Amino acid sequence: MQRNDLLWVEKYRPKKIEDIVGNEEAKATFVEWLKTKRKNKKAVLLYGPPGVGKTALVNAAAREFGFTVIEMNASDARSEKAINAVAKPATSYVALDNFSAGQTQKKRNLLFLDEVDGIAGNEDRGGVGAIIKIVEEALTPVVMAANDPDIDKLRPLKKVCLLIRFQQVRIPLIIALLQKICLLEHVKAEFEALERIAQNSRGDVRSAINDLQSLSEENHSLTLQDTAMLSSRNKDISMDDTLRGFFSTKSIAEVSSLLSYSNVDYDEFLLSVSDNLPKRFTDPDELAAAYNFVSQADVFRGRIGTENWHLLKYFFNSLSRAAAVNPQSYKPFEFITPPIRIITLFWTKGKRTMLDNICGKIGTKCHVSHSIAKHDFVPFVKMILQKQKNSPLIAWLEFTPEEVDFLVKMNRF
Amino acid sequence: MVVLNKKSFKLPRVEKEKFIALMNSGCEYNREQATFTIKSYNNIERLIDTISSILGSDVVFLQSCTRCGKDFACGDCKYEELCTTKNLPFGCVCPQCLRDRKHFEEYLQKL
Repeated sequence: MQRNDLLWVEKYRPKKIEDIVGNEEAKATFVEWLKTKRKNKKAVLLYGPPGVGKTALVNAAAREFGFTVIEMNASDARSEKAINAVAKPATSYVALDNFSAGQTQKKRNLLFLDEVDGIAGNEDRGGVGAIIKIVEEALTPVVMAANDPDIDKLRPLKKVCLLIRFQQVRIPLIIALLQKICLLEHVKAEFEALERIAQNSRGDVRSAINDLQSLSEENHSLTLQDTAMLSSRNKDISMDDTLRGFFSTKSIAEVSSLLSYSNVDYDEFLLSVSDNLPKRFTDPDELAAAYNFVSQADVFRGRIGTENWHLLKYFFNSLSRAAAVNPQSYKPFEFITPPIRIITLFWTKGKRTMLDNICGKIGTKCHVSHSIAKHDFVPFVKMILQKQKNSPLIAWLEFTPEEVDFLVKMNRF
Repeated sequence: MVVLNKKSFKLPRVEKEKFIALMNSGCEYNREQATFTIKSYNNIERLIDTISSILGSDVVFLQSCTRCGKDFACGDCKYEELCTTKNLPFGCVCPQCLRDRKHFEEYLQKL
C-alpha cells in the first residue's frame, strides 16, 4: 500500500509519546510506571473514552523504551485457554525477535490486552481469572485498556492494577492537531470548519481525523459548508457528570438537555438526586419544593415501568424543575454516590442472607413461610436464646453457632 | 471563586474526615511545606468538589498553553461550555495561539 493511500489516522499515528495530544498527566503516570514503579503494581489499566490515545500511548511508549508489544484485542478469543496460550509465553523475559540478526540491544515483551471490558460471554469464560494469574506471575509489564472500567467483571482486575484515567481530548488541542495535518496534507481549511469537526468529535481524536480526511481529501480544501453533512456524535455522560450538571444547572432547559443526552440508570439517578438534595438546597422551603418535584418524577418513573417510555419527558420535566428551584443558590458540595440505599443493601447483604437462612430453617421445622417465620417466630426465638443460651431449640432448629450469635445480637428485623 | 496552582496549593486546616477524603481523591500532603499536590487525576472531579466544600467556594485551575506556555483561564475560551474538563488542571491551547497563524508556524518549527 502506498503511503498516500493510508488512512490519515494510520499515517499520523503517534510515533513518540510527545506526539499524543492531551492527557499529559496520564502519559506521565504511565511512563513513570513503565520506568520505575512496576515493583508495586505489575499491571496497569488505562481507561477512558475511545479515541483519546490509550492504544497509541502503549505503542509509542513500547517503541521508545524498547519493548516488543504482544497484543490481544477484542477480535481475539480471550478465554482462559486462549490467554494462557498467548499471554503466558509473552510474559517470559526476552522477546523472540532478539534472536534475529543484527539485534544489539535486548528487547523485552510487553503484554497489551486491549478492550478488556469486552471480555464477555461463554466464549471468553475464565478470561479475567487467567489475566489476574498472569499479572501475578508476570516478569514483564502487562498493560490493559478499557472504555468502561466500572463493569462488575473487571472489579477483581482493578485490584491488581494501577488505574490511569484518560479524559476526552480538549477541543483546542484537536483543532491544533487538525491544523497540523492540514498543513502536511496541503489542505486549505477554514478555521471554522476545523472548529466544527473538533466540536462534533466530542473529544475523540480518531473520529476527528477521519472526518477531516473524508471531507477534504478529494478537493484539498475545506469550508464550513462542507461540514454541514457531519452527523452528530452523541456520547454518554457518566453518573457523576450528570449529577454535577444537574445540581449546578442554571435553567430547566439546560438540565432537560443534559438528561436526554445522559444514559444513566434512571432509578439509580433518582435515588442519588434524593440523597444529594439536602446538600444542594439548605433553605427548607427550597428543599421542600425540590423534593415535591422529585416525588412527582418518582411517580412518573413508576408509570413508565418498562414500556411507557412516551412518559419519559414528564419524568425529565419534573426532575428538571427540581434542579432549577433556585439556580442562584448553588454552592459546590461533595456528592453522595452511589445512592445510600444501594450502599446499605451492599453492606447488609451478609446479614440479610443469614436471616434468610434462619427463617428457612424455622419455616422447614414449623411448616410456615419465610415471611411468617421472620415476623412471627424470629422475635420469640431471639428472646428465648437471649435468656437461655444452651436452649434445646438450637439443636432442634439446627442453628450454627454463627446463626445463634447473629440472632442474639440482632436489634432489628 | 478561588484560583489554584496545580503544582501545589495551600488549604486551611481541615478536619480528619476531609483530610482523608482529600487523600482518597488523589491528593498528597507535603508536611514540611504544608502544601497539597495532586498525585492522581483519576478522581479529579471528586477532589475539586472536596476542595470546594473546604473553601466554600468554586475552585478553578489555570490552564497552561502547550504552545506558548502562558497560563490562562477557561473563562477566556469559547469552547468552555462544550468542554468536559472545564477548569480542571490539564494542558490546553490558549485562544491567541489557536487563531494566530504566526504562532502556529513557530510552534511547528520547534517540533
